[in-house]
Order: sequence, then C-alpha cells, then structure tokens
Amino acid sequence: MERFYFWPTNPAASIFALWVVSQIFLYAARVPMHRALREVGRLLGGVFRVGARWCRGLAAAAARRDHEMIVEMGKGDTEAKIGREFHRIEGAFAKELARYPDLHRKLDDVVTKIDADFQECATAAPAAPGWTEAVAAVAKMPPNMDGTVKKVLEEIQRSAAAGEKKALHEFRETTAKRHKILSSMAPAWKEVQKLATEVSRAVSGALEATKRIDGYMTSYEQVRADDKNATRAIGWNATQLFVVSLLVMAVAMGGAFVNFNLIALPMSELVPSGSRIAGMPVATVAALVIVLMEIAAGVFAMEMLGITSFFPKLELIPRSRRRIILVVAVGGLLMLACIEASLAILREQIVESSTALKASLAGVKEHPVARTATSRIPVIGQAVLGFILPWILAMVAVPLETMISTGGHIVLSAVTGVMHLGSMVCRLGGHGMRYLCEAARHVYDIYIVIPLQIERMVTSGSRQGTVGSVGVRGQGARP
Amino acid sequence: MIRTSVLAAALLASSCSSGAQYAQAVVALVDVSGTYADQRPEVVGVIRKGLLPKLTPGDTLIVIRIGSESYSRANVEASVTLDVRPSRANAQKLALASTLEAFSRKPMRTAHTDIRGAMMLGAEYLRETNAGRRTMVIFSDMEEDLPRGVKREMAPDELKGVRVLAMNVKRLGPDNANPMAYRARLANWEKQLTSHGAREFKIVLEPEKLADLLDEG
Repeated sequence: MERFYFWPTNPAASIFALWVVSQIFLYAARVPMHRALREVGRLLGGVFRVGARWCRGLAAAAARRDHEMIVEMGKGDTEAKIGREFHRIEGAFAKELARYPDLHRKLDDVVTKIDADFQECATAAPAAPGWTEAVAAVAKMPPNMDGTVKKVLEEIQRSAAAGEKKALHEFRETTAKRHKILSSMAPAWKEVQKLATEVSRAVSGALEATKRIDGYMTSYEQVRADDKNATRAIGWNATQLFVVSLLVMAVAMGGAFVNFNLIALPMSELVPSGSRIAGMPVATVAALVIVLMEIAAGVFAMEMLGITSFFPKLELIPRSRRRIILVVAVGGLLMLACIEASLAILREQIVESSTALKASLAGVKEHPVARTATSRIPVIGQAVLGFILPWILAMVAVPLETMISTGGHIVLSAVTGVMHLGSMVCRLGGHGMRYLCEAARHVYDIYIVIPLQIERMVTSGSRQGTVGSVGVRGQGARP
Repeated sequence: MIRTSVLAAALLASSCSSGAQYAQAVVALVDVSGTYADQRPEVVGVIRKGLLPKLTPGDTLIVIRIGSESYSRANVEASVTLDVRPSRANAQKLALASTLEAFSRKPMRTAHTDIRGAMMLGAEYLRETNAGRRTMVIFSDMEEDLPRGVKREMAPDELKGVRVLAMNVKRLGPDNANPMAYRARLANWEKQLTSHGAREFKIVLEPEKLADLLDEG
C-alpha cells in the first residue's frame, strides 16, 4: 500500500489524494462500469439459466427413460408371471387330462356296479295272486257243527297260519339280502365321493389359476395402458426389491470376506509364489479367485435351475445339456467346498505352528495357550464353515440378478433427483448472480456518492434555470 | 481389436511384479568388541523376540559381526531369505534362532570397532536383496575405533533408502559423566549416515519398540 503513496512522509495526505483520484476516475467510468456490471450479471445469469435448463432436460430425459424402463420391467414381469401360470395350468391339465379316461372308466364301473346292485335290490319273489285273500275268507267263515267241515276249516286255518309264517320268513330273508346288497354298495359310494373330490380339487385349482391369470392380465393391461398407479406401484416394488437385495448382498459380501480370510493364509502354502499382481501376493489373489469362482459356479447353477436368467443363450439349449451344465456347476461347487474345508484345517495347523514358533523364539518352553486349546472344536468349526460358505455364496446369484435388474431404475431415479436439485441450484445461482451484480452497481454508486450529488445539484440548478426561462411544468429537480 | 489386446496384455504385464520390492530386508550389526561383547546374549534375545517373529515369507535377515575389520564376508554370522511357504519359513526361523544361539555362546572379543566397515558390508547385502524396505539395526555402543591403517570412506549413496536403527546403545564410562558427549556422538552418526543417503537414523531404547518400528517400514 505504501508504494502507492504520493508522499510517503504524509500518509494521510497520500490516502486522501488517492481517494480523490479514485473518485474522479470511478465517476468518469460510471456509465461503462454500470454497463459492464449489468452485462456480467446477464452473462452469469444466462450461464446459470442454461445450466438449469440442461439439468431440467437431463432430469426429464432420465425420468422418461426410467418410466420406460419401469413399464418394460412391469410388462416383462407380468408376462413372465402369466407364462408361468400358463405353464402350470398346462402341466396340471396335461396331468389331469391324462388321468381323465382312467377316472371316467372308474366312475363308469362304479356306477354300473351301483346300478346292478340297485336292480338286484329291487327283485323280490312274487306272491300267488288272490291265494292269501281266499284262504283268509275261508278262515273267517263262522264255525259249523259239522265235524268234517270243522276239520277242513281248522286245516285251512292251520295252512293259512303256516303260509303267513312262511311268507313272513321269506320277507325277512329277502329284506336281509337287500340290506346286505345295500351295505356292499357303501365302498362304491365312497369311491364315487373320492373321485368327485379329486375332480373338484382339480377344477378349483384350475379356477384359482384362472383367477390369478385374470389378475395378472388386469395389471398387464394397466401397465400397457400406462396407468400411473400401476407404474408407481412397479417402481416402488423395484425400489423395495433393490433395497432387500442390497441388504442380502451386503450380508453375502460379509460372508465372502470371512471365506476369503479363512483361505487366504493356507493358500500361501498351496500357491508358493513370491510374485504379486497389482501389489497383492499371488496367494491372496488365488484366494480371491476361488471365492469368485464359487460365486460364478453358483450363478451357473441358479441359471440352469431356472431361478435366474443372466444368459439368454443358456435358456435356449436343450434340457439334457442344461442338466450337464448344472451337474458340472454343482460338482465344481462341491469340489471347491471340499477344498475350502481342507484349507480351513490347514489354516488351523499353520496358526498353531506360528504360535508354537513364537513361543519357541521367545524362549517359552511350553506355551500355556497352546496347551489349553487342545479342543478340536475350532478345527471342526472352521472346516464346516469352509464347506458351508461356498454354498451360501452360490446363492448370491439371486439377489445379484435382482439388484442388476432394479439397479437401472434406482440409478435413473437418483440421476433425476440430482438433476432436479442441480436445476434448482442453478436457478437460484442465476438469480443470485443477477442481484449480486445489481448490488455491486449500487455499492459502486455509494462509493462515488459525493460526485453524484454534486452532479445532481448542478443538473437540478441548470434545469431550474431552463424551466424558469422556458416555463415547462413538472420538470423540477429531485430532492 | 489387436491394439486393444496388446494394450490389455501390456497392462496385465505391468500389473504383475516380483514380490521382492514388497519384501523387507534387515541387517543386524552386532558389536563384539570391547565391553559390548558381553551384551551378545541380550542382543540375540532381542533378535529372536523382536526381529524374527516380524519377518514374513520372502523377507531377508542378515546378521553381521562388528569386529576389528568388519568389511569381510567372514563377518557374516547368519543370512537367510525366508521361503514363500509359511511352513518352510518357520523352519528357517527356527534354524536361524539356533545359529544365533550358538553365536551368542561363542567366546569372542575384538580389540577394535569397525562400525562403518560392517555398515558398508551390510549395505551391499541390502542392495543385493533388492527389497522394498531395507533396515539396518545396529547393536553397538556407537564408538568407532579403527585399527591403524584401516580406512573407511562411504560413498555418498552408500546407505540410499536404508533406515538405520541404533538399538541398545550402551553408555560408556565417560558418557555417564558427560551425557552431552554421548548425545554428540549419536548426533554425529546421524549427520554422517543421513549424508550418505540413509533415510532415517533412530535410537531405540526399548526392545519392544523395535518390532513396531519394523512394522512402520
């Protein structure tokens, strides 16, 4: 600052002189400076406005793309569900219809048997027409003193009583026979009832599947018709799935980390190489590769089981080949699990050996910790863990697929949100810049307020003179 | 396509490297002259407890004796580069420990102390290992006493990249009367060693600290 002093021995005078010079300079440059500040304000405002527009456009494009993706996802999902239902119905119908002729024949047989039994029930020995009534009429004749007639009548009465007795006996026998036939019909009725239940179950299953298909078709139509509620529901569902799969993936990554640490140390015995890849020992890389191989084998196994669909080409290959790949994948997993279990045991041995070495180097004859830790539980635990973890890691394929399929929606939603925020910030920035330049103009005027006031006084004086001489009204100087 | 493959191959090749640059090489210089000769069992104990357990497969440990004329291969008491297999490395450590145990029991006392000769020899060994981390641990009173006619001029980059740790520096009789002499002696060593390229010169008083310092690299 002192360099700019006109008179270094007199700073006050120098500062005053500088102030006067600055006042004169800034007053003279007022108009171009105002113009420059206005232009700068417009320029910065324009830049921010363009930025806001770009952000808004990008947000709209991302939202559009997200919407399209959601609609496609919804369509695909519903189509898959409908396809699966049709597949189920096809399977069920094929099974039920294949059984239908047999069922029909069984029903026919049972019905025929029931009919025959029924017919048999209905047959009974016919009684002699009018005989009983004639005998009854003779038996009811009044008693006569004639011995022969009396004897005849008594004989007739006895015969009638015997006939009645015999008829009653026959009736009882026939009834018992009918009851026996009817009781033999009970299993047939039960068979019919069972078959009817089976038919009812099959029909109700088909009806339920039809209802489900109806529901899917309704949602499919809604998605196709671009119904906002339906797409919002799909979007929310995708977000939920993403969060859940993210959590599962995080847990799985924890498992992978444990798995990696379990085999990293013993791998240095199996891969005895001093080389490094990207700063990591080859043994560590090998352990990492084994963990990744388990995940890859799991992906293939899940793909072949039809649970995931990462590779469309694999879906096209014949069932027999799919089975081969499945066997290879599961076999590979089993092998890796066995290797890991053995590595876990080796790890325990290495750790024990290192502990014993440290104790020996430290001059401790008997290591107390090593003596107390003679239990085999840690070894067994590590081996079991080494065997189980690969199978658990293999299941990562399912959340991985879900995360990938729903990740697009999440990324696009995030981009949309960030771009909206950016647009808002840019708009605020544009306004801020414009007002900031306006404020700078006012500050500029405040600094040169004395020359401005002088100018105003001079201008108002000259105007008053002009008004007084010309006599124009309403042209007074501003206060 | 070919260009991409070549680029990928080049990247892969550049990412693969020898493990030597990540390994650690430690040279332990053990003074066997004058009064310090009695410290040998204690020094060997520090090496066994503090140095050996910290070494990992691929690391190198060289033990050099500081005698009257130390710039000789005969002064190398033990040298081992640990195998990359942990089990073999453990066996090597045990073998080295017994070698050092024998060294500590051997009757030995030299009249002069050639510290720089041992340093130059150790520096050569360290350079040969091509290890990423090179450390020189000196067990001595740091009082050099060269025999007549022996000259020790270190090159300006003799200890380039080497970390020098002075461990268990024994105070001499006059040091007790005038601690400033002891401090001046160590300061002189620090100045001399750093001027010859040493990365650092540090005095270590507690044996437990040595392991931590080795971990810091």
